[in-house]
Amino acid sequence: MRDGQQINGLSRRHVIRTAGSVGLAALAGCLNRSDAFGRGADEDTSVGEPPIADRSLPEEYTTDELEDASLSGGPGQDGIPAIDEPQFISAETPPTNLADGDPVFGVELNGESKAYPQYILVWHEVVNDRLGGESVAVTYCPLTGTAQGFSRGDGEFGVSGRLINSNLVMFDRGTETWWPQILARGIRGPHEGAYLEEVQVTWTTWERWRKQHPETVVLTEETGHIRDYGADPYGGYNPRSGYYENENTLFSPLATDDRFPAKEVVVGARNADGSMAVPKATLRERVVVDGTMSDVPYVTVYDEKLDTGYVYRNPDTESVESDGGDITVDGDEYDADALPLEREIAFDAMWFAWYGYYPSTEVHE
Amino acid sequence: MSAENRFTLQPKRRFEETVAAIGLVVRRSDSLAITAVIVISYLTVFLWVIGDLAFRPDVTANLIVVDDPLNRMFLRTGPASFEAVALLDTGVVRLLLSPINVALGLLVASLVGINLGLTYLATVQPAACGIGAGSGLLASVPALLSGTVCCGPVVLIALGIQASGLLLTMFAWLLPLGIGLLLVSLIYVAGTIDVIGETT
Repeated sequence: MRDGQQINGLSRRHVIRTAGSVGLAALAGCLNRSDAFGRGADEDTSVGEPPIADRSLPEEYTTDELEDASLSGGPGQDGIPAIDEPQFISAETPPTNLADGDPVFGVELNGESKAYPQYILVWHEVVNDRLGGESVAVTYCPLTGTAQGFSRGDGEFGVSGRLINSNLVMFDRGTETWWPQILARGIRGPHEGAYLEEVQVTWTTWERWRKQHPETVVLTEETGHIRDYGADPYGGYNPRSGYYENENTLFSPLATDDRFPAKEVVVGARNADGSMAVPKATLRERVVVDGTMSDVPYVTVYDEKLDTGYVYRNPDTESVESDGGDITVDGDEYDADALPLEREIAFDAMWFAWYGYYPSTEVHE
Repeated sequence: MSAENRFTLQPKRRFEETVAAIGLVVRRSDSLAITAVIVISYLTVFLWVIGDLAFRPDVTANLIVVDDPLNRMFLRTGPASFEAVALLDTGVVRLLLSPINVALGLLVASLVGINLGLTYLATVQPAACGIGAGSGLLASVPALLSGTVCCGPVVLIALGIQASGLLLTMFAWLLPLGIGLLLVSLIYVAGTIDVIGETT
């Protein structure tokens, strides 16, 4: 897929950059009123609430601090429209804009597999779907490079238009509680302080997902909305370019750390034990990476077939080793995604965003 | 009209001068041609910058219209941008047809066109010497920077500028600010034209 649209070798971003340099220099004075144009469309929908999880995650900021750090990215509530009636097509006839090397967010639940192309979700950020007999929301934040799934029960999620730590803040249409995506925690509304149930989402490529899940279906561009599918307003992933590659962040992170470049991808996991991150480049190289959270051993293993990592809690310090493709646990071979250990929800994230939310994170290298 | 009192604050007179000057732009074929070219060019650039127009020679011709377009066209996608209700692929360009965005673009483009049409007249038929002819061009910039994409102002992403709450608020006001500047520029430039000289 192309990195933006080119007109005679001139990209829209390049022209805007040039015009912006002149225009911003010419602009003087500030206006101090917000919400000048109101908010996005508020649809009167009677939907239920998402299920609340009995879980505990690290809380490094108070609710007030998070709310104070929220900014409007421009669009209002539902101004970025979630896909509420997703349409799918078989892997044999994928959308023409979907190239083998393009990122997709794969979900397998109760034997059913679906792929959600990044190039479509970049315009919508949330898909309210049903998968394997369960209601789920597959969510994607372009600015933090995070694709996460949530159980939604009778509820529906939408895009609030607010951002915290550059990260998508969802809202559920039943209670209008704000849910920052990475935190999976309510910060404003009836479910303040509550946690969502999560569903594992795998960031991979279309070719890899299709080969591992030939029965998969893939989301189509029939979203019910008109967007310039095939263009990405931020940059590109195939190859990586623009915002996804450079060091710039649109908003100031809550906390900063220069151990890795801002957009370096880490595999992040968090639970009651704490938070941890494994640089994906290190994981690719070493295949098995050990570490701890609150002195509890954890092991992260690399799945080359999907170019993804799985995080396991390993309290008994079982011996986990790589044997040229297969993973052995105490001498027995297992697939990387099926070790006889307790697997944690984990997802890829840009380093700046992960550290911003979890400055106490352990880094396993 | 003398040059001495040309820039004094006389609202009624300035309004009449502006209307007369705009009438002159429309009546003269040379200034009308310039205005028309500017309107079309600016509208094209405006739609391209906000993402409603793209060069897509690799896509076959197609037309898609959303359900319930009359209601959908008023839904906001940003502080001053609205939902597209149709997608037109021509085989060369792709147009995301948002009636409100087109109307806003046409309003700004018309103001820019008339500004520059008046500027042209001011240079060929000045009422005073030493007038500034670049105000309309400068005033046309803010509206071009007003576009937002999914997560923020596209110009900030392009420039790699970190956004503060204040800066984001400013972006919400760019389009009306641009329109205001163009109106001020219009009145200013209109006062620099010898409208009477055209008829004598």
